[in-house]
Amino acid sequence: MAINAAGRNIPDSIPGYGEVRHFKGHDRRPPEGNRFGKRNRTAFNTRTDKTLPDIKAAISASGLKSGMTISFHHHLRNGDFVVNAVLDACAEMGIKDLVIFPTALFGVHKHLTKHIKSGVIRQIMGSVNGPIGQLASEGGMSVPVVLRSHGGRPRAVTSGEVVIDVAFIAAPTADKYGNLSGAVGRSACGSLGYAHSDAEYAQCVVAITDNLIPYPAPCIHIPQFFVDFVVSVDSIGDPAGIVSGTTRVTRDPMRLLIARNAAKLIEATPYFRDGISFQTGAGGISLAVAAYVRDAMREKGIKGSFGLGGITEFFVDMMKEGLFERLLDVQSFDLAAVKSIGENPNHVEISADWYANPWNAGCAVNMLDTVVLGATEVDRDFNVNVNTEADGALLHGIGGHQDTAAGAQLTIITTPLLRGRIPCAVDSVYTVSTPGEVVDAVVTEFGVAINPRRQDLINAAKEAGDVPLVTMDELIETAEKFTGPMSPVETEDRIIGVVEYRDGTVIDVVRQLKKK
Amino acid sequence: MKTAQAGTLESMDCIVTVTEAEKGRGISIVMEGASVARFGEAMVKATKDTLKSLGVRDIFVSIQDNGAGDLVLKARVEAAVRRLAGGKAA
Repeated sequence: MAINAAGRNIPDSIPGYGEVRHFKGHDRRPPEGNRFGKRNRTAFNTRTDKTLPDIKAAISASGLKSGMTISFHHHLRNGDFVVNAVLDACAEMGIKDLVIFPTALFGVHKHLTKHIKSGVIRQIMGSVNGPIGQLASEGGMSVPVVLRSHGGRPRAVTSGEVVIDVAFIAAPTADKYGNLSGAVGRSACGSLGYAHSDAEYAQCVVAITDNLIPYPAPCIHIPQFFVDFVVSVDSIGDPAGIVSGTTRVTRDPMRLLIARNAAKLIEATPYFRDGISFQTGAGGISLAVAAYVRDAMREKGIKGSFGLGGITEFFVDMMKEGLFERLLDVQSFDLAAVKSIGENPNHVEISADWYANPWNAGCAVNMLDTVVLGATEVDRDFNVNVNTEADGALLHGIGGHQDTAAGAQLTIITTPLLRGRIPCAVDSVYTVSTPGEVVDAVVTEFGVAINPRRQDLINAAKEAGDVPLVTMDELIETAEKFTGPMSPVETEDRIIGVVEYRDGTVIDVVRQLKKK
Repeated sequence: MKTAQAGTLESMDCIVTVTEAEKGRGISIVMEGASVARFGEAMVKATKDTLKSLGVRDIFVSIQDNGAGDLVLKARVEAAVRRLAGGKAA
């Protein structure tokens, strides 16, 4: 056991995970080894068609066997059909004991429960949003779920810590020689950013498409020389679950107040100047912050450099208006973003490696001025929990939270102080997802708490005069006054989830919930 | 079996349903909602305290919680009990 730099007591070894590298601070682990990658192969002009009749044929051709590791991307989000279809096929072919390595799973993947129970799936390394997370929390998996950030995952792949045997890549458009595009087709999802490292490093790459078109495909995101086989199916997903129509700014006055407070803080800092770069999520508060910042940019005549991350219509419109020069897009959230990435050369697809991998010569998050992020909880040390809910269930992934927080000059967490009776500012978070050392401010409807490490920001906010400053202690006390003291989460000793920091060290673990 | 209800499912409120119980059955409380995992003990205590102050010894209480604080919960329990008793105060 050792107390790590986030104050967590973590065993030196975890059954089903192995030896633990303890988290020692956000920039403490030096990179190791080389980029290596997949076996070399050759294809002569005697084979100019990579298509196979169905998923089972591709599984056979790929050499997939029990015990291997298979990967998926989550650009089809809750509309995805591909993960379930591949695991159904594996089950029918008698393949078992698989490690699945998706970038994320959603509600639609509840279907996998039967494959977990029957032993087709042994382990999940990836975000488990919703039902599979609940199942794991209740002890339904024999091996812990391993959570990695959007940057930590490509780090694990490119460094060889995780070897992908077969990558199954859902492709909204493909040609017979394996050029893939996310921008066109009826299942278009825009950027294929999360799939790039898998395409480049997996021992075998199978593309699954519902829009097979003549060679060469347009708007190529993943090129042919990474792709071994192409399978055409009726449908790779439900467009209604893949992209949202429009993402709306919240109208809730409390959330607007939080957003206004965050925007005031941004405007008070030296980062609010020509060339500002900016990332927000697609949530209601985040978009409202973007709306206030946009208004301030218009008013003061400020032009930004780039918008990063999950891209929404809001950012597309800001670029069209000239408020950003470029958009760097690892995930396109809505129809307008999907359309834009296919048409506008200033709307650039980036891979997760490019976006957030801490082990390369410089990822995009390092160039960020400001990021606005959410939380389920924050604590006295500014540690942030985005993984577990108040009842202790592991229901969310890390996303780019750790990466953007570490990379950005100004990292802002926006959260209501209370969700119902549940306090969001607490003495100590249940799970540390992002360490407080890379978090600069927590913004609530009861005021803005700036991390004491950032005296420069506190001074800037005081000088501006309109940022409602409070201390974290005050936020925690205010919350407790409303809620009363909380009982602890009751757990078993068994670890069901391992939360890696982006550098591959273990920042926290999640334990199995006690049966009620 | 007589029942009565008070409250709403608005955020930070709850619906309390009370059902009369035979003498000597005591107090039974069933709770649902996101807060129960961390505030269940506090909710039971607030409910029992309120019932005690109203002199109720035998009753079945069901709480569908949507984040109510103790003050709200106590008020909903009291209102439901008074409605069950047929008083016009509620």
